[in-house]
Amino acid sequence: MSQSMLAAISLVFTLSCYFLIKQLYLKKRVWWLAPILIVPVVIVLFVVSLKIPLPAYFEYTHWLVALLAPATIAFSVPIYRERKLIFSYPLTIGIGVVTGLLLGLLSSWGLMQIFSLPPELSQSTLVRSVSTPFAMEATSAFGGVPELTAMLVLLTGIIGMLVCEPLFKLAKINSPLAIGAALGAAAHGAGAAKASEFGKEEGVVASLTMIFTGIAMVLGAPFFSIFLV
Amino acid sequence: MLTAERTKKCYGVLQLLIQIGLFCLLAWGMEQVSVYLELPVPGSVLGLAILLLLMGLKLVPEKSVKLGAGWLTGELLLFFIPPVISIIKYESLFEQYSAPLMLTLVIGSVCVLLGTGFVVDRVFRFETKMNSKRLNAAKAIEVI
Repeated sequence: MSQSMLAAISLVFTLSCYFLIKQLYLKKRVWWLAPILIVPVVIVLFVVSLKIPLPAYFEYTHWLVALLAPATIAFSVPIYRERKLIFSYPLTIGIGVVTGLLLGLLSSWGLMQIFSLPPELSQSTLVRSVSTPFAMEATSAFGGVPELTAMLVLLTGIIGMLVCEPLFKLAKINSPLAIGAALGAAAHGAGAAKASEFGKEEGVVASLTMIFTGIAMVLGAPFFSIFLV
Repeated sequence: MLTAERTKKCYGVLQLLIQIGLFCLLAWGMEQVSVYLELPVPGSVLGLAILLLLMGLKLVPEKSVKLGAGWLTGELLLFFIPPVISIIKYESLFEQYSAPLMLTLVIGSVCVLLGTGFVVDRVFRFETKMNSKRLNAAKAIEVI
């Protein structure tokens, strides 16, 4: 089979797998069908079992990655829509963003000192708690690898979704803004989806915190990297 | 009846595509600006700021970008599937360091969740008090 044939199959399979699983999840609502868990697994199995070379896989699918930039711009709409909430609680949201961002960076950095991971891996974990488009943009300032970063961001999102409930119970964190800010800062998009299960306000605050921490990470990366790398 | 519905659906899809196209165009244009002016801010974040400003100044109505923005932010996972697939390339790296890596991610996430949740919980109570004080003060002035 020719390279461009494999590339076309890769794109079609990626799209159909994503949208089919998404439809199924919306219908069935069982946790193991969550697209964030299952789509990457199915596609990795597909690529490995058909022995598709990675360059062929990326030939057309890299256009999907190119949509991360317009998606970043699209985040301006939720900011504008929720301006009332932002103006009501500027301090809460602002401090939530700063705390989340610094804890995300410092916890990665501190753990890096304890566990000896290879540099490309450890430097890619620094931006793990912000949304993918921002993380892939910021990671190179820390010497991280964008592809590894995407994987680590995904794993972080899944972990945050799984561990948040017992933690909130344990620490008696129950105000909607705190739940939203914690999930948005720790687990970005996956956290925002989880926060929406708690309530509408939690979901909105999580989305806003995720967006603002992402922006702050991109703008601050050159400055933070002086201290952390 | 059916055709009317179908026309409406087609119109919706067309609107969505046009809006996504506009977002892409803005992203591309801003990237060019960022590269050309050697700005420390990437084009995407620049575009975010500019669109927010345009909406704030009422030059771009929220309605005209809502559909496209909703789709782009809703399907975010699809856009970073390809880089995640690169894990195949780094398979040995992930296998070798899976334990310390997972520990790092789990402990790190717990730190961020607890720390942010705890701090925001306190600040939220403080700010709610401040807001109600402000409201009461405003009411008092009205009464006078």
